[in-house]
Amino acid sequence: MRPVRSALMLAVTAALSSTASIAATPLQLKSDVFVERQVVRSDGSNAVVLEKPNMVTPGDNLVFVVRYKNIGGSTANNFVVTNPLPPAVAFNGTSDDSEVVSIDGGKSWGNLDVLRITKADGKIRAAVRTDVTHIKWNLNQPLNAGAEGKLIFRGIVK
Amino acid sequence: MLVFATSQPAFAAGTIAGTDIQNIAEATYDGPSGPVTVQSNTVTIKVDELLNVTVASTDGGDVSTSPGFVGNVQKYRVTNTGNGDEAFALTANVASGGDDFDPTFQKMVIDTNNNGVYDPGVDADYIAGTNDQVISPDQSKIFFIITTTPSGVANLNRAEVSLTAVAVTGTGAAGTTFTGAGQGGGNAVVGLTTASGTASGFLAVQSVTVALTKTAVISDPFGGSRAVPGSIITYSIAANVTGSGTMNNLTITDPIPAGTAYEIGSITLQTAGLTDATDADAGNYNGTRVSVAAGNVPAGQTRTVTFKVKIQ
Repeated sequence: MRPVRSALMLAVTAALSSTASIAATPLQLKSDVFVERQVVRSDGSNAVVLEKPNMVTPGDNLVFVVRYKNIGGSTANNFVVTNPLPPAVAFNGTSDDSEVVSIDGGKSWGNLDVLRITKADGKIRAAVRTDVTHIKWNLNQPLNAGAEGKLIFRGIVK
Repeated sequence: MLVFATSQPAFAAGTIAGTDIQNIAEATYDGPSGPVTVQSNTVTIKVDELLNVTVASTDGGDVSTSPGFVGNVQKYRVTNTGNGDEAFALTANVASGGDDFDPTFQKMVIDTNNNGVYDPGVDADYIAGTNDQVISPDQSKIFFIITTTPSGVANLNRAEVSLTAVAVTGTGAAGTTFTGAGQGGGNAVVGLTTASGTASGFLAVQSVTVALTKTAVISDPFGGSRAVPGSIITYSIAANVTGSGTMNNLTITDPIPAGTAYEIGSITLQTAGLTDATDADAGNYNGTRVSVAAGNVPAGQTRTVTFKVKIQ
């Protein structure tokens, strides 16, 4: 009897804490990753489709989608979304260049074309997409109650 | 804005098979009671094993051989350009079309001690299916193909010898998937190399031969050319090297004929005089014969030795 009772107690505690965390964050954030696959249509032409992958191989093109929605009753100001890039993924751009990026693990930020890398021999070169470690969007307008949107960036499996 | 960071080395083979790619997005905003941070769900994708291999011949040109030569050594490098540890099965092909001859296959050998040189008795023989070598991503292994050249081949004949390596997990068109066969529990997927690689090296017959031509000129004590006691015979031996390559350490030796006596100090090589003693110069006379070390003679050249004897 004793072990059963203690297991029940644990379950109740877990349920309470999860309810509390939902209440404290009236903002939904959902991450999805798709992989581009070349498929041959029935008429023989090629098409690119997005699939939800379980497995990928180096060189695969990935599309990351971050959806956000304000499900609370009040406006969220200074809304910022950050996506650290998984170490095995090379950044491959966004469609609208609305992002800023970091090449030093999120310490400093800027547009990619102004960032510089110090090479092992001390020389400096322009940063490229494969140097990116973090991507960030500063949404410069308040996110009203009920408002939603999505952010998309592309990556390549290293 | 200027930001500096240090660049990281990149690996050609890519992310190691079995690695999890995990993505989490994070949002911050100012709520009614201060800054709030929200994390998204975590998306996890596993990296499959990509099967890729390349093979290169690393002899840097034709390997010289000669008719009937046993133990030609040709060197090949197999590189795992995939992203998982993979064993490769090797085959040697000595019967290529379009070349001049087919050597006889002896064996394939693994460069066991990784020194890039075939060490008989140290490097292990390769037996397909028994000791297929597992090569890590981006790493290479050297293998040797040992062959025998048939005796009937002609100078400058060439033979193509190729080594093919295939991933033991499987091969096929790029994109072919072997479910669950990848390193780390994922699938194995055939890459653009079709998980198979081949490279050719060549054997080239370099045979040199030497032809000796001996002539004699007699001068008698009376200004004529009769062979009488007291006549001096000048022997001339021309060694003509033909073929291709170089004949190394060519030594020309000739016994003094019976009934004649060697004329002291009469040896020449290319008209230059040589001493009779066994010393720094190339010639010597030991009481019964003359000998001249003509050295390394390239094909197309001739070395001429002369010496004199007196008829007794």
